[in-house]
Amino acid sequence: MRHLFAVLLLAAVAPSPARAALHVVTTTEGLAALAREVAGDGASVESLSRGTQDPHFVDANPILALKLRGADLLVDVGLDLEIGWLPPLVTQSRNARIQPGGPGRLTAASAVTVLDVPTGPVDRSVGDLHPAGNPHFLADPRRAVRVAGAIAERLAALDPGGAAAYRGRAAAFAKRMDAALARWGAALAPLKGRAVFTHHRTLVYFLDWAGLRSDGEMEPRPGTPPPPAHLADLVQRAKRDGVRACLVEGYYDPRSDALVARLSGAKLVVLPGDVGGDPAASGYERWIDLLVGRVAEALR
Amino acid sequence: MHRWFVAGALAAASIVPATAVGEEPAQDVRTKGQEQERRQLEEQIAKELGQGAAATAPEPAAASAQPAAQAGTGGLGPLARLVLLPDISAIGSFAGVYDSWDAGRLSPRSGPTGPAGKPAFLFQELELGLQSVVDPYVRADVFVSFGRDGSASVEEAYATTLGLPAGLQLRAGTFFTPIGRVNSTHPHTWDFLDAPLAHDRIVSGDKLAGPGVDASWLAPLPWFAEVHLVAQSTAPFEGDPERLTGTARVSQLFALSDAATAGVGLTATRRDEGTGAFRDVAAVDLFAKYRPPAGRAYLTLQGELYARRFRGAGPADTGDGWGAYAQLFWRQGAWLGYGVRWDRAPAADPLAPASLAGGVERRWSAVGDWFATEFQRLGLQIGWDRRPDGADGWEALLHYEFIIGAHGAHPF
Repeated sequence: MRHLFAVLLLAAVAPSPARAALHVVTTTEGLAALAREVAGDGASVESLSRGTQDPHFVDANPILALKLRGADLLVDVGLDLEIGWLPPLVTQSRNARIQPGGPGRLTAASAVTVLDVPTGPVDRSVGDLHPAGNPHFLADPRRAVRVAGAIAERLAALDPGGAAAYRGRAAAFAKRMDAALARWGAALAPLKGRAVFTHHRTLVYFLDWAGLRSDGEMEPRPGTPPPPAHLADLVQRAKRDGVRACLVEGYYDPRSDALVARLSGAKLVVLPGDVGGDPAASGYERWIDLLVGRVAEALR
Repeated sequence: MHRWFVAGALAAASIVPATAVGEEPAQDVRTKGQEQERRQLEEQIAKELGQGAAATAPEPAAASAQPAAQAGTGGLGPLARLVLLPDISAIGSFAGVYDSWDAGRLSPRSGPTGPAGKPAFLFQELELGLQSVVDPYVRADVFVSFGRDGSASVEEAYATTLGLPAGLQLRAGTFFTPIGRVNSTHPHTWDFLDAPLAHDRIVSGDKLAGPGVDASWLAPLPWFAEVHLVAQSTAPFEGDPERLTGTARVSQLFALSDAATAGVGLTATRRDEGTGAFRDVAAVDLFAKYRPPAGRAYLTLQGELYARRFRGAGPADTGDGWGAYAQLFWRQGAWLGYGVRWDRAPAADPLAPASLAGGVERRWSAVGDWFATEFQRLGLQIGWDRRPDGADGWEALLHYEFIIGAHGAHPF
């Protein structure tokens, strides 16, 4: 027991091993990819969740608080996406910097224009919706550029010596995205206005940017399972409106999507839900490449 | 079991507020032929998804509000939070119970029991939660419980520091004593519908809790290691006077992989019993969870062992004893969960249920849960008890729970 206490005491007072100037923790792999783009070698970056995970339902595993305790910057999506798991972890981290409103806390939603802001009474009779708007904005590269810019500004504030480098990398990323946007735009242009089904309202921003149209979701309301009557409606609607694809992220059970696709003659398209959601989605640009490629191929 | 869930789904569907298919266009007027085709499709889909007759599924009604695909002007819209109000939630739980024996006398417990041989309905609890940061340095969590007899009590109300240095954290107020996993968590986060017998007999007749201070330290180690030192005034059983109680706890969690976590906790508690006597409780809790990241399904294995010893209490040391439970719970996905539990606890004295009779009571339980959404749970638990004198009885417990208001954290 005496040895254990000695080890703990040493661990508490010993200097940490050499590391990058700043330590950035993000809630999702998409945000981590953007942080890596702008941080370069100036910061170490890690994500709390994996790209294969549904970001609504990450476990509030106290082990994740270990990543947060030494974080200089926590970047979360916001709009209640992480409400089921992030708040207790932040409290357990005992890290004053990353508490809401702290200098080391950046909520990415504050950098973008939000879609799907509910109108009318907001309660759960309309499902488990996000009362401040849809949080899945990283699937729109234009908004991702804004988020990258916001991360660069916050890193610059935390590390003024590296400000020019952070801003420079953010500008370079934006330029690269401009070129990619032209490429993706060319692939999507012939498909403008085509209708698709999605599983959850996770692709609202992607569809808005891509010029596609959602004709419905498998979930009749967010967070509720699809009953057969609703799926039957979707099958009929698909035939009537010419819906050609059912888009579903890899972390959802695709049985309903597959069934509707088969019965309506549409194609089932399984998409990575985030960076890292597929072995090929190794970075932000690669992730959008995959989204555009798979959707375009299904709708062509 | 599956059939039962279909029946449960039907029952619950009838109480779920009828709501909306989001994008059903107003001009969607079907011809008779289209309607017949739709009905056939519905039956085929229900069959392929293994959901029984299509008629069992609730038909969504028209929407009253929709997330409109409209642009806001900022990332944190006006509906995000009402300014300066804390997060408010209410959790209601109700039960229908059938006991084949006089469980309240022969096997007393904190969970619901009914009269022998007669079904009964019980209002269990309404828990009101108020949670918010107080200022940049402290957050506060308040839980008020409205009980079966209509009484209200402050279940927990504490302030927690947010940024003390060196991994330290202080919690002050009234709170559950951090003994193991069951005592320190609220019932709606449990996989089973009642507390294990061992907890009720050894630790506390309800929850060991009380006003005090909890100083904890997150050790700077590569795994999660948290140390708690707690001083509280507690009253383990109804009618006990509040007395000073000291608790030391070390809990550790290890990430075995992205999918697997294992944990162990050790707790020692000493309560002053007055006149130089003490009640010592030691507890060991083990926990393992396997959840592949790309899904909602998981498997947990959990067990706790509690031992109690009275010191300096004279010849009336009949409260010494130990108990344990072990449980396995399989969450099949978003909507269904199943579990089995084994309990071993000192038997209660039928003439004085707060005392132990000597000998061991054993209990086996099985639970099935249906989660209509994240905010409703319907559970059925079947338990069978056997006392050391050979008496036995079984219990069926049907439990319904709803959550309204702010979205709480998912239990781990």
